[in-house]
Amino acid sequence: MAELGRAALIVSLGLALYAALAGFWAARTRKRRLADSAGNALLAALGATAVAAAVLLSALIRHDFSFTYVADHTSTELPLGYSVSAFWGGQEGSLLLWLLVLTGYGAAAVLLNRRRAPDLVAWTVPVLAGIASFFAFLLVAVASPFATQNAPAQGAGLNPSLQNPYMLAHPPLLYLGYVGLTVPFAFGMGALLAGRTDERWIVATRRWTLFAWTALGVGQLLGAHWAYVEVGWGGYYAWDPVENAALMPWLAATAFLHSVMIQEKRGMLKVWNMLLVILAFGLSLFGTFLTRSGVVNSIHSFTQSSIGPWFLGFICAVVAFALALVFWRLPLLRSKTRLESLVSREATFLYNNLLLVALCLTILWGVAFPILSELVKGESRTVGRPYYDFFLRTFGLPLLLLMGIGPLVAWRRASLRALRRTFVWPAGVAVAVGILLLALGAGSSAPGLIAYTFSAFVLASVTLEFVRGTRAAGSFTQLVSRNRRRYGGYVVHAAIVLLAVGIAGSSAYGSSSERRLTPGQTMKVGRYTLAYRSVAQRRGPNDLEVRAAVDVYRGRTLIGHVHPGKNTYFAEQQVSNEMAIRTDWLRAEDLDVITDQIDPNGTIYFKALVKPLVNFIWLAGVVFLFGSVVALWPDAREQRRLVSRYALPTPAEA
Amino acid sequence: MQRRGNPARLVIALSVATVLAIFLLYTSIAAQGTPSLQPSQLPGHHGRVTLGGKVVGPVAGNAHDTPLRFRLRDRNGTVTVPVSYRGTVPDMFKVDREVAVDGALVNGVFVAKANTLVTKCPSKYTTKKS
Amino acid sequence: MNGALVIGAVVAVLAVVLVAVPFMREPTALDDTLAEPDELEKRTLELSEERDRALAALKELEFDHRTGKLSDDDYRELVGGYRRRAAAALRALG
Repeated sequence: MAELGRAALIVSLGLALYAALAGFWAARTRKRRLADSAGNALLAALGATAVAAAVLLSALIRHDFSFTYVADHTSTELPLGYSVSAFWGGQEGSLLLWLLVLTGYGAAAVLLNRRRAPDLVAWTVPVLAGIASFFAFLLVAVASPFATQNAPAQGAGLNPSLQNPYMLAHPPLLYLGYVGLTVPFAFGMGALLAGRTDERWIVATRRWTLFAWTALGVGQLLGAHWAYVEVGWGGYYAWDPVENAALMPWLAATAFLHSVMIQEKRGMLKVWNMLLVILAFGLSLFGTFLTRSGVVNSIHSFTQSSIGPWFLGFICAVVAFALALVFWRLPLLRSKTRLESLVSREATFLYNNLLLVALCLTILWGVAFPILSELVKGESRTVGRPYYDFFLRTFGLPLLLLMGIGPLVAWRRASLRALRRTFVWPAGVAVAVGILLLALGAGSSAPGLIAYTFSAFVLASVTLEFVRGTRAAGSFTQLVSRNRRRYGGYVVHAAIVLLAVGIAGSSAYGSSSERRLTPGQTMKVGRYTLAYRSVAQRRGPNDLEVRAAVDVYRGRTLIGHVHPGKNTYFAEQQVSNEMAIRTDWLRAEDLDVITDQIDPNGTIYFKALVKPLVNFIWLAGVVFLFGSVVALWPDAREQRRLVSRYALPTPAEA
Repeated sequence: MQRRGNPARLVIALSVATVLAIFLLYTSIAAQGTPSLQPSQLPGHHGRVTLGGKVVGPVAGNAHDTPLRFRLRDRNGTVTVPVSYRGTVPDMFKVDREVAVDGALVNGVFVAKANTLVTKCPSKYTTKKS
Repeated sequence: MNGALVIGAVVAVLAVVLVAVPFMREPTALDDTLAEPDELEKRTLELSEERDRALAALKELEFDHRTGKLSDDDYRELVGGYRRRAAAALRALG
């Protein structure tokens, strides 16, 4: 079976190389049948990769330990779901998943666009195929999932910390996001190669980008939730390089999503958009390089792997090629329109882009700092949390404010008088909220108060936009169905506001307390009192579970019980921290209780945290998804208009 | 027709300058980053550093009432240094695990800053399970 | 083992067939040139985008005016320009 997998990957590599080389030749010499053949090769590469994936999947499910990969990542007792998730739990398997998603996206992009824009697709195919060739090469020659061995009796099993439902959703979603950014990149490069000056490539990839961006965003939130619930330190984001690896391309893609709207409406920012798409794609490759290569110290990964240099070389080659392409086609990218006013919706998009890219680059600097300082000073230095927090506040808070200003400002040029009128309501609401919060004690954290006030401003501004729009359009459904992208976008903005409020609340207004308690003693945290009652042990199927019984009081009233503790896994000889979370839905706040240390005599060192509004973060994920779906929803009228704009007469008609 | 200067360019230039200014100001005033060192690189460093290495026993103390005492060894070497730590101890902490902790060398003992001890998760991407 | 061999062979054959299909369908093609927009088509495309942009801009202007973001004076000032631009694009498109 392993031979079939290996053969399938070799076939896939061959097809990708053919698609890249023949596709390039066909585009250059304008040969239609060869171009079609190259496109078909990309489709066939999907098929071959799927076969390889099926082989690995079946081996994982069957626990076929003659596959080294299967033996390294599963065991006979591993439940089916986790055996499947082991597919992406290791280096080789996750590379195969990447290639599968890439060829999948590539095939779909080719199929949907080859008849409508054959010259654009003719150049896009070699770009996509070139990238696929790299990954196929890695899988064939550097990190094969199909290495075999004499099958041992038992496999190494999956790390217990990875055995939870998040493992089934978080990595695949991230991959759908990372890999998805390849599509707009390839089409952008294809447009440059084809010498096209129109917006076809943007129109063709708009929904792909939105989809990939959504997957990347939701994937990250799932990861944060995973960290919060399972890892048990009471936090959800540690500015770890591996976490930043997903955040950076997401920020670049956010900037790109906004600035392409400007290009569509005004024909401006063509060069900027090319650079942004290169940045987003480059960062997605860089992100996966960071995660795999062990080049940066992270609490997540820690490999000494040979794959790093390959990735680095590939990233440099791709970025150099892309930048050279942009430089070569610079004359074509000159726009004829100018920004008319610094107070216009276009301008706010421009400011938003600058802030997003600034934040993205400062995070990149923080991530690369250890590597750079090692090269320059001979010793590696890391920037700490304060660095990231500072820049998140410096760039993030103005971004939040901009989300509220945008809807109030007209396109092209805003009348200052009209602006003052439309500004009054949301500003008034924000000030009122600010004063109220100040009275309630939110002044203890200036950034927190600012975040809350700005959030109120944004929500008021967006609500006003919906209200005024409904009045102008006649009905709510009319309003939204006529401009799904914009109103879906506003819902997404509301989600970001929820995110900001959740982050501000849980980080700026929380409380924490730690104490060593014997059974019967109590401790206070925030408005809660915790009474430690007893501790008990239980034997699970593969672990020993110790749980403390703690009563939770608010004032004098008993409001619940929590059972924090630890699990000790025999086979892996690992201890996992089982933090207890008590969610107060009404107040949207969490009480987290951690048993830091459990002594044999029953004395426990407890750590308790109160996290106000933390559940808004998870709620934000749901709203974000909803908003994206609205924005993604197909619009029949828009489709018809685009088809008529770009309809190319077939050779027979000409 | 008069060609007006493009305000967009001015805005971009000013914004980039502002961002750079903020960035440079911050990095020059605030810390220059914390060095990440192994025990063999410690001598000569007096300020706060992040010390990484493998845990060498015996381990004494419980990190809350009494400081946790252990030694850290170079990842690929033999030099060790004694460490004294108070604060949360990650569950995965044990002898021979790689950890990192912030602190400074004081009279031959690495005195750690509270709650800065982290262990590295076993990697998903090694070719051999650690 | 045999099953794997069969699947492998089928995959390889299908791949080759798929790649060769465009040539097998038209062994001798009268016109093997890739459909590309010529100068006229490129100009038409540019004008279509210009027209769509101008029309969309007019809609935006009207919407912004109705929702109070644009004053009457500003609206009147801008709308003339965009109407002319749209008309020019429509005329050029024939």
